[in-house]
Amino acid sequence: MAISEKQKKILSLLADGGFHSGTELAKHLGVSRSAIWKQLAGLAELGLPHAAVSGKGYRLETPLELLAESAITAALEPRLRPLLQRLEIHDQIDSTSAHLGKQAQLGAPSGTVCFAEHQTAGKGRRGRQWASPFGSNLYLSILWRFQYGYASTSGLSLALGVAVIRALQQQQIHPVGLKWPNDIISAGKKLGGILVEVSGESEGPCAVVIGLGLNLYLPDAAAQGITQAWTDVSKVKPGHSISRNQFAASVLNHLLAVLADFETLGMRHYLDEWRRHDCLQGQAATLFIAEQPYPGIVQGIDENGLLLLQHPDGKTQAFASGEISFSRACP
Amino acid sequence: MDIRKIKKLIEMIEKSGIAELEVKEGEESIRISRYSAAPAPAAYAPQIAPAISGTTIAQLSAPAEEAVSGHVVKSPMVGTFYRSASPGTKVFVEVGQTVQAGDTLCIIEAMKILNQIESDASGTIKQILVDNAEPVEYGQPLFIIE
Repeated sequence: MAISEKQKKILSLLADGGFHSGTELAKHLGVSRSAIWKQLAGLAELGLPHAAVSGKGYRLETPLELLAESAITAALEPRLRPLLQRLEIHDQIDSTSAHLGKQAQLGAPSGTVCFAEHQTAGKGRRGRQWASPFGSNLYLSILWRFQYGYASTSGLSLALGVAVIRALQQQQIHPVGLKWPNDIISAGKKLGGILVEVSGESEGPCAVVIGLGLNLYLPDAAAQGITQAWTDVSKVKPGHSISRNQFAASVLNHLLAVLADFETLGMRHYLDEWRRHDCLQGQAATLFIAEQPYPGIVQGIDENGLLLLQHPDGKTQAFASGEISFSRACP
Repeated sequence: MDIRKIKKLIEMIEKSGIAELEVKEGEESIRISRYSAAPAPAAYAPQIAPAISGTTIAQLSAPAEEAVSGHVVKSPMVGTFYRSASPGTKVFVEVGQTVQAGDTLCIIEAMKILNQIESDASGTIKQILVDNAEPVEYGQPLFIIE
């Protein structure tokens, strides 16, 4: 369901979290009070529930800070600003990564960034959905072009995980850690996910689309379809007031900084930092490759970022892909 | 000579049907011959094949296997092979399907990077050598295109 111009107007009035009477809202929009009520019902369906109190009016259950290009670019580090070639902010989109994948084919420049307030088909790995209710989390994708083929992107996913951890630390969000290769974890629950998709020539220029979903405040109603343990910043750090635009800029600063240097530095530059945030080191876990389970003890990562798993027979093997399921993690 | 240039030359030969090509560029030269890719029964050709100098297509594309005719698309990395964008969606290609160079053939996932593997040749998919969701090694043959 698309968000209408009227709904956007109402949201801009309600964004402060205070009460606004139906009469006031109706006057601003030039519509009847019952029309306002209908629009608010529509917003509730989008995941923006409101409270209605007789004599006071309406207010959003959670204050809302919509993403704003000016606020994000103002908070970008000056040295990184030139890397941002294009910034798009969509009220609604199918998927920021799918969108940039199409833009890449049309020749969009390296450094194109796409944010959305709401994704109708937010995606995770292998067809999984990413819960993407309106206005409450961060959903962004970055298009970056690499010159030297797929080999030069090897390990990029781990370095990007380090970038997001840096941003979270800058925003004083902890504890946070990484689950191989780059899930953002807090207290054993998923706080964010990064999906990297590469297309182009395997030995020549290729286009990399990096998608990041970071839960800031995920309403329970929107989280019903999630099949794994999840958390959000409001749970990790209750009472912490978050500026979404500040958060967006911080994440973008750290992602762009890693992307700018990755083709020169490679993933080895990020190995030690990744290892410091490894939340599965030494833990019993099961790696699934398709349906095939490989139980063992996680022994960190090797020089290339591959997962080292010690089998029950004591032998350690390096894995390039698969999904880890665990019962205990730190932090 | 640039490896990519050599690759292009091999593709040109495959498409053209000519038997042999020699290119000189300054002091460098390369000769590519497709003799051993011909479907002649091996028993009848033992005297001829070793006599051919230069790189043969069969040697380049499938070193450890019996000679195959057609272009072999190999895995550019270690990872997991997927035939479709996500489970339950249509596979990128089927045997018998015609593909153009640049069409997506499969996805190989490595460290949660989903790499779309494009065809580097045009033709018909003759064989798909790996099952969906199987791990693949660097250089492992994935598809044969004719």
